[in-house]
Amino acid sequence: MDERTGRRLGVIALHVVVISGALLTVAPIAFMIYSSFKTTTEIFTLPPWLPPAEWSFKNYETLLTSWHFPYWYANSIIYAAVVTIFVLFFCSLAGFAFAKYYFRGKNLLFIILIGSTMIPFQLILIPLFILMSRIDWVNHPASMIIPWMAPAFGIFLMRQYIQAVPSELMESARIDGASEFRIYAQVIVPLVRPGLTTLAILTFLGSWNSFIWPLMVLRGNEVITLPVGIATMRSQATASQIPYGEMMAAATLVSVPVILLFLMLQRYFISGLTIGAVKG
Amino acid sequence: MVQAAITRGREARRGGGFQQHKLAPYAFISPFYVLFAFFFLAPSLIALVLSLFRWDGINDPRFVLARNYGRLLSDKVFAQAATNTAIYAIASLLIVLPLALVLAVLLNAKSLRFSNVWRAMYFTPVVTSTVAVTLVFQIVYNRDTGLLNAPLIYLGMEPIYWLGDRSWIKVAIIILIAWRSTGLLTIYFLAGLQSIPEELYEAASIDGASMLQKFFRITIPMLRPIILFVSIIVLLGSIQIFDEIHILTSGTGGPANASMSVVQYLYERGYTRLRLGFASAVGTVLFATVFILSLLQLQWYGVFRNAD
Repeated sequence: MDERTGRRLGVIALHVVVISGALLTVAPIAFMIYSSFKTTTEIFTLPPWLPPAEWSFKNYETLLTSWHFPYWYANSIIYAAVVTIFVLFFCSLAGFAFAKYYFRGKNLLFIILIGSTMIPFQLILIPLFILMSRIDWVNHPASMIIPWMAPAFGIFLMRQYIQAVPSELMESARIDGASEFRIYAQVIVPLVRPGLTTLAILTFLGSWNSFIWPLMVLRGNEVITLPVGIATMRSQATASQIPYGEMMAAATLVSVPVILLFLMLQRYFISGLTIGAVKG
Repeated sequence: MVQAAITRGREARRGGGFQQHKLAPYAFISPFYVLFAFFFLAPSLIALVLSLFRWDGINDPRFVLARNYGRLLSDKVFAQAATNTAIYAIASLLIVLPLALVLAVLLNAKSLRFSNVWRAMYFTPVVTSTVAVTLVFQIVYNRDTGLLNAPLIYLGMEPIYWLGDRSWIKVAIIILIAWRSTGLLTIYFLAGLQSIPEELYEAASIDGASMLQKFFRITIPMLRPIILFVSIIVLLGSIQIFDEIHILTSGTGGPANASMSVVQYLYERGYTRLRLGFASAVGTVLFATVFILSLLQLQWYGVFRNAD
């Protein structure tokens, strides 16, 4: 075997390994979509790879008509969208202050900001829940939005992006008599759109996929989110059988739109995840 | 210099302009500190205090000093949950992390065609709802009809009781963790690989180094800081694991607590059984663990060094 053949075999092996792994990775998602077209009985019939007797959207129909699924969907979208808008505003504003101003106590305040990321959410899970019930926010949308409006991570992310904006632009705007807030809104914000897009994706996704918090604070089909709704389909089922067919349809509708969105905005998503890792 | 002087002049003329410049940053950062104080700092302090009390949320709290901690440390279920969590963490470090590293190197290979397509496929689990995909795994792990057992059944072998066996349930969860997090870790490693100068590999090629030699002599040493960073992310993530186990075991952490994690234990004691003081003690122990790991992480990030 000469060197060229060896190298070619290496390249083929590389492709075989990478492609089989990639297929294995998307297999559960494909299987989820596939199963969503089967009846629950068919899902639990051997062999599991057998196609449904009849390809139908029955599970989707039932999901939309007999369950509060549309409510859950609307709730998830509203909570995620509202929290994202606030996060974009508060994080870029604070990131701007930390990136471009010198003020008394800045170092200490920044250390508090970063230190706050050390508090694991699980530590405050119970007391925050007690607080929510004291101020009557249990079962109220505010519990899904207000505590999460200014995450330290987002401020850190925006600070990284805003630091790259040349300070001269701010100075000239100031000479033209612009107020500090106008400098933020008209000079900084337009220049850090990629950073804002990244933060928007990460925030929306975090809210959309969050589980333990909405599981605790939200009750009742009118306020719960998609993941909580889907998780409770098991106990909410009226029939004797756990409705796995409908649950697969629900799982498809909660994940596929997000995956498509990710495929379109992949670049922003990945830069947001790695900004700390690369610049560290 | 000149520009700064002009700026000062303008500000003086506008009157109050200078003041605005000084106060603006405080106004800009205040939302974070207000929310932080109210929704994070105050509850954290409440948790620390509450961990010294016995409270069901209805009757008056009773001061019990460190008895919650004492009972926690002697509780068999907590010991089980802590052991399970440690198993998940170690499995992630020893299996998922090396897998992600090798995958990143493969995806980074120049001879790989359509690299973007494969990357996108590997990254999809990162954005997929944990609840949704865990339900699929529940079907896949089914003993009598699951995708994993079907070939065994057709070969006439004993099917594996993935969700009902004390050991297999852990394997089932580790597979799920691997599926969920390999892509995420690969993203970090790929970012790290970009920072290795190409010349190092070229020089090694000239010296006749093999692929494996390059991997162990160049890639691994150059990626050391990223590997450390990812290890800490993996540990932090493992310590806080909840969603996958809660859904896969239908909220039980079973069979017989064999898969229960520390956070699930906290949720069950605090939220389901309303033992609020005791659950706060669990939270405090978690906090101490995460705090130490985060200090290591921050040291790596170097954020204390460049606050300006």
